[in-house]
Amino acid sequence: MYTVENQEFIRVLVADDDEHVLECYRDAFGEQETTNHMKALNELAAELFDPVEDIVDQPKFDIVACNQGEDAVRQAAAAAEKGTPFDVIILDVRMPPGIDGVAAGSAIRALDPDVEIVFVTGYSDVPLEELQRRVPPPMRLHYFNKPLSFTQLADDVVTMMREH
Amino acid sequence: MSNRATSLPLQTKASLTLAVLICMFIVASWLILRQVIMPAFDDLEMTAAKSDLKRAEMALRTDLDNLEAVTADWAPWDDIHDYVRGENPGFKRSNLVRPTLDNLGLDFMAVYALDDRPVWAQLLVDGEQQPITALGIFSPGDAAAPLLTSQDRADVHTAGYVATRLGPVLVSSRPILRSDDAGPVAGVLVMGQFLDDARLGRLRDRTEVDMYWDLDDEAAGLAAPLGSPTFEVQADGISGRKVLADIHGNALLTLHSQTPRSISGLGGQTVSLALLFLTVAGLLVTVFVWVMLRVTILKPIERLAGHMTEIRQSGNLLHRMPVQSNDEIGALAHQFDDLTGEVHNARQALLDQSFKAGKADTAAEVLHNIRNAMTPMINGLERLGRSFKVADNLRIEEATAQIADPECTHERREKFLQYIDASFRHVAGVGEAATEDLAVATSQARQIEGILADQEKFANVAPIAETLGVDEVVDEAVHVIPRGARPGVDLEILDGLDTFAVTAHRIGLLQVLGNLILNAYESIQRSKAPEGRIHIEAATETLDDQEMVRLTIRDNGGGFNENTSERIFQRGFTSKTEAETNGLGLHWCANAVASMGGRIRAESRGLGQGAEFHVLLPAAQGG
Repeated sequence: MYTVENQEFIRVLVADDDEHVLECYRDAFGEQETTNHMKALNELAAELFDPVEDIVDQPKFDIVACNQGEDAVRQAAAAAEKGTPFDVIILDVRMPPGIDGVAAGSAIRALDPDVEIVFVTGYSDVPLEELQRRVPPPMRLHYFNKPLSFTQLADDVVTMMREH
Repeated sequence: MSNRATSLPLQTKASLTLAVLICMFIVASWLILRQVIMPAFDDLEMTAAKSDLKRAEMALRTDLDNLEAVTADWAPWDDIHDYVRGENPGFKRSNLVRPTLDNLGLDFMAVYALDDRPVWAQLLVDGEQQPITALGIFSPGDAAAPLLTSQDRADVHTAGYVATRLGPVLVSSRPILRSDDAGPVAGVLVMGQFLDDARLGRLRDRTEVDMYWDLDDEAAGLAAPLGSPTFEVQADGISGRKVLADIHGNALLTLHSQTPRSISGLGGQTVSLALLFLTVAGLLVTVFVWVMLRVTILKPIERLAGHMTEIRQSGNLLHRMPVQSNDEIGALAHQFDDLTGEVHNARQALLDQSFKAGKADTAAEVLHNIRNAMTPMINGLERLGRSFKVADNLRIEEATAQIADPECTHERREKFLQYIDASFRHVAGVGEAATEDLAVATSQARQIEGILADQEKFANVAPIAETLGVDEVVDEAVHVIPRGARPGVDLEILDGLDTFAVTAHRIGLLQVLGNLILNAYESIQRSKAPEGRIHIEAATETLDDQEMVRLTIRDNGGGFNENTSERIFQRGFTSKTEAETNGLGLHWCANAVASMGGRIRAESRGLGQGAEFHVLLPAAQGG
């Protein structure tokens, strides 16, 4: 995590071979786009109505997306080399035609023993015990089945980082 | 079919080998008999011929020895000594008479004084007395005379063959001495016997040799060296001859012996018989070996090859080899059966594994693809919900109320109007975003539908049909009944199921039968029948000119009524509660059986009367 102007950012790397899924990640982990009329509406609401309760500041996400396991390993290696490692790496298990998410996670774990690795997959033929063996330690490994709410996943990632 | 070039059949090879062997055996036997056995017979025959000639010569010699013995008996005798000296005239009267010659077997006898003067002589030719001079050998000018009549020394005597004018004779001449062999020599005693036909006959009788002699056989005499026997092998016998010398040592006569070729003839017959026997024995042994080869090796191998062809054509690896012997061929057949059994088991395991793996792969792929497709759809709908939630938070109602308030300033009213306008534009934007999200959700739903359509294509792929023994499938399918429940249910499988084989997809058929058996078991459980009974049998049946095997599963459970029988195979129909529902259902069973080219039908006499399910499947060809 890093902070810019009192705003915390969580660095997230996502790898999934499905562009629609990557779009969901970008949508859930990206900054909400604010249109001009939304800005005007908010300014008018602030001027005309009593203020509502302040929303607690949530960390934001600095997300990098790729669609192959090899790309994910390269991105993780490059970030570690620059001294700005990712906080969380979310991997799909099946990402043909390249290496699968488990192999990518194993390679990334070798580069960064501290990073939280999250497997998100529609189906995995690798049992959880095997995942834990190949991508240790279990406390830094998380597993979610698709379909899932990426908004919820984003909240879970925030919780994950607070407990890190 | 195999394209391998086929050489001569094994049976033909074995037959040709045996034929060549028997021919070689016969030729070898003939060569051995002709080259080894027959010469032995010829040698034996030659030995017999030599023996015959020897015996003939010995017979003549024996006669000569006898003559010498008689001469040796008479010559040293005081009476004849005195008679020659003229001192015993009575001797002639009492001894030198014809009966004496007859008794002694002599043809002539002569007594000569020392001065070669004949004292007494007698010659008998054909029983008639003839003058001794007729012989010619006692004439003063004859070469034999001095040797025969001039024996002036006591230790000299002469014996041998001599040619006379009347024919060859045996002659013996000894000096006449005192009885004590003491001298002086008073004269010479000569005794002789004709070598005539009578003697020849006696010699033949005595020796049993076909013998004769030639006096005038110059050619024979010249051809053969003196004293050396010669033999000539002729077609009808072996002719042996030996030239005998006279008392002077000159060739006198040729003694012949004729030995019939009875030994070689017998040998030839023996060889021929032996060859015939060996040929017949060889043929019999060959036939016996051929029969044994055929019965014990060729036929079983032929059956084994046929069995392999049958297995290859029918694909039924459970078909057993009909060889019962315990020899190496039987062991080979049993090992082949074991091997095909293991291959069958391996194939079944592979099919099962392949089927399960295929299902697992398909399921994994479908799960992955559908979940991936559902993810953006769910998140789109979630975003949609969030958008509408934002719209819900708009304070349009409150703004409208403020505008209606008379105390609201114009400037503030304008602001509220701007707020309401902005709110509606925001709602319009949310609507546009919602349309996009719904488009994405629709697109994802179509993607899921496409994935399912792909699965439908695979669902239409016909499963692999194979030849299955009905007994084996039923034995495996009955395991669906819980083991603990078996004592409460009498499972009756009719004998003879092993004689039926069907062409079907093994896993599918196992699932169908397992489902029907499980249904029967559960129907019995529900009906609480005190003695549950499931009966399984098989029979052949013709359906649309096709030979089918009908498998019947009969139970004494709850049964069903006529209305149910019409709907029993319809999709979604069940007589069970949801909690009781296990397995795949009768609709699936009907589809599965139909996909195997079979039929399924159900019968019941009504509720509480039990039920019968008949599964008809194509009978396996050659199974």
